[in-house]
Amino acid sequence: MTSIPEALLWCLSAGTAAAVVLAACLFRAQRQGKALAGRLAAAEEQNAATVRGNTELNARLRATEAEIRHLAGARIPDLTTALAHPHVPVRGLLDGRFADSETDHALTAVLDQISEAVTKERLRVDAAAQATLRGATTTIQALLYRLQTALQEMQHRYDDPSVAQDLLHADFLNEQALRRIQATGVVCGAWPGLTREDSYLAELVVGATSRLRGYERVQVSNQLRDPVAVVARAVEPVAITVTELLANALHHSHRELPVTVTLQQGNRGASVIIDDYGVGMHADEIEHAMALMSGEREVMLTQLGDPPRAGFAAAGQLVRQYGFGVHVESSPYGGVRAVIYIPGDPLLTVLDESRQPMSVMAPVPHRPAAAAGGSVPATGSGTSPAPVAAPQSAAPQSAAQHAPAPTAEPYAPAPGTPSGHPDPGAAPGAEGDLPRRRRRRPAAEPEPNLPRSEPVADRTPEETASRWAALQQGTESGRAAAARPEPPRSPEGNPHA
Amino acid sequence: MTPRQNGRRLVPAYLATGGRARPSRNTLDRLTLLHGVDMPPTSELRPEERRILELLRPGALSLAEVAAHLRLPVSVVKVLVADLVDAGRLHARVPIPEAEQFDRQILERVLDGLRSLKS
Repeated sequence: MTSIPEALLWCLSAGTAAAVVLAACLFRAQRQGKALAGRLAAAEEQNAATVRGNTELNARLRATEAEIRHLAGARIPDLTTALAHPHVPVRGLLDGRFADSETDHALTAVLDQISEAVTKERLRVDAAAQATLRGATTTIQALLYRLQTALQEMQHRYDDPSVAQDLLHADFLNEQALRRIQATGVVCGAWPGLTREDSYLAELVVGATSRLRGYERVQVSNQLRDPVAVVARAVEPVAITVTELLANALHHSHRELPVTVTLQQGNRGASVIIDDYGVGMHADEIEHAMALMSGEREVMLTQLGDPPRAGFAAAGQLVRQYGFGVHVESSPYGGVRAVIYIPGDPLLTVLDESRQPMSVMAPVPHRPAAAAGGSVPATGSGTSPAPVAAPQSAAPQSAAQHAPAPTAEPYAPAPGTPSGHPDPGAAPGAEGDLPRRRRRRPAAEPEPNLPRSEPVADRTPEETASRWAALQQGTESGRAAAARPEPPRSPEGNPHA
Repeated sequence: MTPRQNGRRLVPAYLATGGRARPSRNTLDRLTLLHGVDMPPTSELRPEERRILELLRPGALSLAEVAAHLRLPVSVVKVLVADLVDAGRLHARVPIPEAEQFDRQILERVLDGLRSLKS
């Protein structure tokens, strides 16, 4: 049996040991508690930061969503409108803070993609529309030319005034239809549809006026020194351009007012100057017209308005393809002045009027008083019988000018050259100069052509009788003297001997 | 005659008269003879009228011939000529009536007469 002290000792030692252990435990617990508190604080801090960041992200997300909504609702519609109408502005970012951010780049890329796709599609649709129209206009134009030929033949066939009147009217209507079809076709990329021969510029301009309603208001004045002609391939293009500019002039001026056309010859080319005295065009209209006619950009049908105004666009296409120049400006008279400049080097030539007479309707050039010499100028007098018999000109004729000359060679004036032959010694002058040909002087009427106006001398019947008797006797004696073996001639036969 | 007859016309006929085909006088015929009046050409003459007067300066021509020279339809030339006649620049004369067929008897008598002249 153990004693109480021993038991007490045991208890005490056990208690001490427990205390020691407990103390150690306490220490550890305290340390852990400290560490936990630190971690807690860090975690709380982190949590707060996360919450803050979350809010920020949320706001950002909402802003981005708003930006995307803005893109879909405003910017893309703006863009599509602006592609059709370049003056419409496209709105920018809704929130300026996105500028130059990743979002901005992405959205811009979207807009670029859309722009490209829309443009491509528009070009494709426009090309399809142009192809359709081109096909239609080409066929219709060919038919209208056949109609023109038929009408022209009928005009020559029927003299009856009322029939002729209707035929002329139908012909005019046909010309107007042709003009519209031709311009539309040219805008759609078709060729002018007709190749003519080298044609006089004056004739070409007069022909161009005939395609328009109100042609009687057009006054053409011809200031050309030489019978300048446009080479075959450019005749119809220049005619179309002149027609469209004239149509603009007639359209923008009052029905009572004239439209004056002046043909002017320069050093290196010829100009057709069209002046109207109408209401004129605004600066932006002129700018638009010049942009269309500069021929620098492709034309789209959708840009021409509804109904499409094809005139300037057609002129622009032709300017680009054939290399003449068109200029439109406000004229000092208040109206519009349009100038078509045709460079002499590839596009002009000079024709011989006696070989290829000018149309009778072409305006006569104004000659200086020295050339007139009291008689009318011999413009296109090749059809009259006189000049064939009396080519007494001192100037060489350019007979070899019919073929479209790739480079227009100027003809040196050589007064000693016999007329009626092309001048072989044609020395090319300054490069790009207009070909020159001396105008033939008006042909004088040969005298022997006028026996009909000679008065018949009066004879008495006796005189007549004696003359006839002498003739008869002479005939008889001549026959008697002739060789007998010859077969007898009829009384009307001419004695040879 | 010239190569351009094959080409398509550049200037239509109606331009000469402004679309009119009814002459101011209906006495003109294809065979009407036209004489020019000696009058200096004035500036108000249109080119085609000037050409007609030029054509007629050497002497008379029939209307059909004038039309052929100008390469215009006869109906249009009639209008132009009628205007010129109205302006006093042209004289128009009715066509010479178609010559009658010669009477054979008359011809024989003329022949007889000629033969008798010899004696």
